[in-house]
Amino acid sequence: MKYIRKKRNLENYIVRNIPKSILIKDSEGKTVIDVDNPKYYYGTIPEFKIDKEGNFLLNTFGQKIKNTIDINLYLTQKVDDMGIFTDKPYIPKDTLLTDKPQNFNSFSYGRLAGAPVEFYYTPPNSVSGYTDDSLLKQVKSYRKDVNGQDVYVPNLNTSSNPSELYNGVISEDTEKTVYKINANVNNINNTGIKYTTYKNKFTTKKDDFGLNQTHKTTTFSVNNSGWNQYNTSLSATTKKEEYLGIVFKPEIDSAVFINRGIADIFERHALLSEIKTTNDIDTNRGGFIRI
Amino acid sequence: MATGNYGTIRPADVSVEDIEMFYSYTPNRESLIDVELFPLNPAEVLVPANNPNNVTEIFGGLYTLKLPTATFGTKGFYNIIIRPKQIRTKIQDCSVLVDNQDVKGIVFDLNQIPSDLQNRFENGNLVGYRVEYLKEQAGTGQDKIQNLFRIITSNNRALPITQNQGNSNASVSYTFNDNSTSIFCTVSPSSAPSIKPNATPFIGNPQQDVIITNTFFDPVMLEIEMVEFDDETLAYALFSNQTKSLEDGIYTIYNFGNQIYRQYNLYEVKDQFTGKPLFEVREQKFTIDPTKDFDEITDF
Repeated sequence: MKYIRKKRNLENYIVRNIPKSILIKDSEGKTVIDVDNPKYYYGTIPEFKIDKEGNFLLNTFGQKIKNTIDINLYLTQKVDDMGIFTDKPYIPKDTLLTDKPQNFNSFSYGRLAGAPVEFYYTPPNSVSGYTDDSLLKQVKSYRKDVNGQDVYVPNLNTSSNPSELYNGVISEDTEKTVYKINANVNNINNTGIKYTTYKNKFTTKKDDFGLNQTHKTTTFSVNNSGWNQYNTSLSATTKKEEYLGIVFKPEIDSAVFINRGIADIFERHALLSEIKTTNDIDTNRGGFIRI
Repeated sequence: MATGNYGTIRPADVSVEDIEMFYSYTPNRESLIDVELFPLNPAEVLVPANNPNNVTEIFGGLYTLKLPTATFGTKGFYNIIIRPKQIRTKIQDCSVLVDNQDVKGIVFDLNQIPSDLQNRFENGNLVGYRVEYLKEQAGTGQDKIQNLFRIITSNNRALPITQNQGNSNASVSYTFNDNSTSIFCTVSPSSAPSIKPNATPFIGNPQQDVIITNTFFDPVMLEIEMVEFDDETLAYALFSNQTKSLEDGIYTIYNFGNQIYRQYNLYEVKDQFTGKPLFEVREQKFTIDPTKDFDEITDF
C-alpha cells in the first residue's frame, strides 16, 4: 500500500469577502455586519460553493454545488511476473477446420478451436538494410592481384565448416561484390545473408567517440523462412503453481576451494591455463573456483 | 515452454464502483484515542480524469479526490484509505469438475451476491480477484483468518451433477452451464507441489464466509494535514496591505485580495491612579468591523 502525505491550508477555502448586502446600522448608527443574515459566511467554510454576494452557485440541473477540497492522486496497478509456462499434452479437437477464416492473423486471433497448425504458418519475408563492409574480408581469396589488391573469386567457399556452410562470393564485377555468409551449402541461393559491397560508393558515419568512420557502402538482405513446420507447433501451455513468478530456470552458484597442493610447482601455471576470459579472472580469484 | 507476462506497473483505470474508501480524523498526532474509520462514497468524492483527446475515455491513473468541506474542513489530520471494493459472501460448495476430477474449485451462489455486484460474477470476470477467509466459528477473537488468501484463476457458471460413487454414496461435482446460478471458481494455489503430492492447499469449506476483492489497483493511504497557516498566510503579515485606524485603534491586516484577514484592537493599559502607561496591547478582534474595507479607505 502506498502512503501519501498532503497538506492543505484551510484559509484557501475560508470566506473573507463581506458583501455590502449584509451590512446594517446598529442602534448607535455604526455600520456593522448582520451576522444573522443567511449570506453571512465571513471566517467560515461554506458547505456549498457561493459567489461574492453570498448566493449559492448552481449547476446545470439547478442544484447547489458541494464545496470540496480537491486533491489529485495517481492510482497504479502492479502486475507481477507470471513466470514460466509448461507445455501440456492435449487431445486436439476431432474435426479440424479446413478453411482459414478470412483475414486470419494468428498473432491477434490467438487460439482457434479446430485450427490445424498450418493455419499459423506465415509466408517467408525479406529483411534488408545497410551495414559496413567488415564481412567482406571473410570471403576474400588468399591470393592478391598484380597490384597487391584482394581477389574475390566467385564460388570459393571460405567457411571454416565448408561441408555445411557457405561463406563466399556469388558474383563480382567492376561495380560491386555480391557474397553470402552462413548459407547452407546445399541451398546457397535461398539461405544465409546476402551482402552487396559497392566498390566506388562510400558511407561515412560517426563512431562512439564522434570520429568519422568511412567504409564501402554495403547492403544486406536475408530471406526469413517465416513460421513453418520446422519452427511451429501447437501445444497447450499450463502454469504450474509451484513455478508462479519464477521467470528463469534455477541456477546453482556455489564456491568450491580446490587445493591441488602447494608443492606442485606447476600449480600457478595450471590455474592460469583455466583462465580463458576476463570473467575467469574473477571466478578463479585466490584459488577459489566458482562453479 | 513459454514465458508469461513480465511484471510491470500500469496506470489503473479502475471504475469508482470497484473502489471503497474510509477515513479517520485526529486533531493532532499526539491523540491517544483509537482510530475510528468512517466510510466514504467513492462515487461522490472520487472523479477519474478523462483523456483530453477523447473525453469519453478514462485517462488512466489520474483521479481527483473531492473532499467535502462539511466533513474535511477542520484543522487536524485526516487519513483516507482507498482500496479495492470487497464483496462478502458465503462459499456454497467446494468440489471438482465432472470432466476434470483433479480440478478443484469453490462455488458461489449468485443469488447471495448483491444485485449491483452480480455482473462481476459473469464468466471470466472474477479472474485475478483475491479470496480471503473468515473463521467458521465466530466469537473466537479475530474473525478473519489472517495471512491467508487465494487468487481466482477462472470462474464459470456451473451446474451441480450428482454422481453415484457406489456403496450408497454420491458426490456432487460440477459441469459448466451458462444457465446456472452457481459460479464455479478455480483458485491458486489449489494443487499440491510435486515435492509433496499429498499437501493439497486449503481453498475453503462449504458455508464458510469469504471476502472477495478485486486487484485492479494497489491500495493507497493518504494522510491529509489541514492547517490554518502556510507560507502564503504568513506573508500577509509581512507583505500585504495593512491599516491602523487612529480614531478607534483598529489594526487591520488584509490578504493579497485586499479582503480583511485579521483585525486587532490596539490600546494602552495605564495605571489607574497615576495615568502612567504600563502596556501597549494588540488584541485580536473577532467581531469584524466592516468599515475598514481597504478599497473604501484608499478611495479618495
